[in-house]
Amino acid sequence: MQKLVLEICVGTSCHLLGSQDLIQMVERFPAEVKNKIELQGATCLGACGKGPNVRINGTILNNMTPEQLQQIICDTI
Amino acid sequence: MQRFHAEVGVSQLSKHGEELCGDNVEVVRTANSTIIVLSDGLGSGVKANILAMLTTKIASSMLKRGIPLEEVVNTIAQTLPVCRQRKIAYSTFHIIKINETGLTNVIEFDCPTSFLLRGHHVLPFPSQEKIIAGKTVREGELMLQENDKIVMISDGVIHAGIGGLLKLGWGWQGVEQELKTANQMNTDAEQLSQQIINCCQGFYLDRPGDDSTAVVVKIRPKRALTLFVGPPANSANDERITKRFLSRAGKKVVAGGTTAHIVSRITGKPVTTKLNYEDPQIPPIGHIDGIDLVTEGVLTVNAAVERMLRPKILKQSTRQDGATLLAKMLMDADIITLLVGTAINPAHQNPSFPNQLNIKSQVLTKMQEVLLNLEKQVEIEWL
Repeated sequence: MQKLVLEICVGTSCHLLGSQDLIQMVERFPAEVKNKIELQGATCLGACGKGPNVRINGTILNNMTPEQLQQIICDTI
Repeated sequence: MQRFHAEVGVSQLSKHGEELCGDNVEVVRTANSTIIVLSDGLGSGVKANILAMLTTKIASSMLKRGIPLEEVVNTIAQTLPVCRQRKIAYSTFHIIKINETGLTNVIEFDCPTSFLLRGHHVLPFPSQEKIIAGKTVREGELMLQENDKIVMISDGVIHAGIGGLLKLGWGWQGVEQELKTANQMNTDAEQLSQQIINCCQGFYLDRPGDDSTAVVVKIRPKRALTLFVGPPANSANDERITKRFLSRAGKKVVAGGTTAHIVSRITGKPVTTKLNYEDPQIPPIGHIDGIDLVTEGVLTVNAAVERMLRPKILKQSTRQDGATLLAKMLMDADIITLLVGTAINPAHQNPSFPNQLNIKSQVLTKMQEVLLNLEKQVEIEWL
């Protein structure tokens, strides 16, 4: 099964706007969910003013909160 | 011709009961040479400290300006204050001047002979007696090779343990034996000077009878580092500047997400980012093949400056966050070039963000100051 590719930006703005919270949220998923996600870091997704930014299977999503990201991951996998 | 760097390590012990050390060491770096002056002031405590400091300051300032040795010795003799009890103005001095080609001059007045360490050999630094300004001075000149070391010590080291653990003290031969055992090719100057002083402290049973100083100078090739931080103001210059950055000798560090993307685009090598936060305040590091370190920009650079202000803690730190790694690499380099892009990221103008984000130029100027204080050769280029 193809994994969900999740890139979380850890550039300056996204770091200050909470990308660490997003990473921690993903890491708290149970192993069976985590196995379906390929979690990667990104240095800049080109939308610094709208961080934290993530890219899921190639689509960039802005102003992400841990709750929103959790919902998107659950809906996608 | 290879250009050498003189790495200097200094370790000291003050006489038991004294807060100030009566030995003083001054290191001065000029564009193409390093001058190291060690002086042992008469007596101990404040008086000795002032005498020694006057001597090292006078000698290093004059030699830095290219004033001949004879005049330096004369000046020292005439300007030192006279001791009220002994009616003499006195301090020893020991001068090493190392040219970046490796040509080394050693001048010794009333101090233990310097050691020359080459491979596994430990020898007295070859010198001849000469009368300068009525004083008998030993003077020597030698072309040093890579990894050669010169060790100079004050008499407190020679006398370590005298009348106690060792009847006649550690002695020059005792120090020579220790150097033969302790010196390895990769031993750095600081480690070796500390080793001598540790032995000294042991022989004195933690109650030093005299101020003791060990200075180790190691000759090694200069280490260069270039830090490319922030995108250039005009993106049309990205390629030209990146190619110049990539062509530089020595270590290469990229700081900043956009800067990393520019380098990645021009080299055709992907930038990958780790997600492990070694320090919650510092964004994780990245990687580009052929680049020694890829970090986030201004937060990491600012934290690296803070870490360099506490070099002892930094040296012992095993942390792997971007700021610690950057600070350690900068501390390890001798010639540092800062290529600073001046493009402004509008997203960084957010009023809730830390101040240093908007004042990148100040952070980089502070980094330059800190590095200069650490005796590095630093060049900053605003792009």
